[in-house]
Amino acid sequence: MDSKQIIMEQLITEVKLKLIEALNLDGMMPEDIDNNAPLFGDDGLGLDSIDVLELIVLLEKNYGIRIDNPAKGRQVFQSVAVMADYIANNRTK
Amino acid sequence: MKMVSIASGTDLTALYRKLVGNYPKFFKMDTLSKLGFLLAEMLVADDSDRFTEREDRAVLIFSRRGCLANDLNYAKSMEDFPSPSLFVYTLPNTVAGEIAIRNKYQGETGAFLLEGYDRPQIDEIVHQVFQDRITRDAIVAWIDCPSETEWTAQAWIVSK
Repeated sequence: MDSKQIIMEQLITEVKLKLIEALNLDGMMPEDIDNNAPLFGDDGLGLDSIDVLELIVLLEKNYGIRIDNPAKGRQVFQSVAVMADYIANNRTK
Repeated sequence: MKMVSIASGTDLTALYRKLVGNYPKFFKMDTLSKLGFLLAEMLVADDSDRFTEREDRAVLIFSRRGCLANDLNYAKSMEDFPSPSLFVYTLPNTVAGEIAIRNKYQGETGAFLLEGYDRPQIDEIVHQVFQDRITRDAIVAWIDCPSETEWTAQAWIVSK
């Protein structure tokens, strides 16, 4: 694993921890979340539209990323891996 | 008749990790939903046709307080700044739906609030559900949570 991959793995774990905290997923561990599992719907984490508000706040507060467009939100919040990739490429802090 | 129960105060997350471990929606559920989900897992884990779509199994949840414990917690959170994420999978009928979704049951689901645990009344309602031409058995659960740390939770499968 090269240094870029290591940094991405660290970011993915960090995003999982922030997600668990923001969504009050009491008892959940980062390893409970598959990097590529869908965040929404019955096949993944089971998040709903209300949770999107928390994810938008999470991105802005921690990484200085604003999501103003709902379509962009649907794209960014596909999975933890997609979120982390978006953060890595767009973060301002 | 197979019957299972979860003792009050059991560590539900530990039980989930032991029995399931790969269904992260569990962490989005309130105590009522977690209990219903885990009871169903204990009942059907060994079914040979698990996760095969079927219409002949009903899921019937009975309770006295429903999701009151979770509602009170949410009301308390509004004393400060309420978080939307505190809305979780709750309501007795959602418990029945979650069990049905997980196991691909497409039969009857129902939730009933009773004044207390009343087995003859529960049996009568189950009997009524069996009057259709499709339902052949039912997962029946009595789940009542005065708080998020104390409850009575038992479930059984009854056949027509």
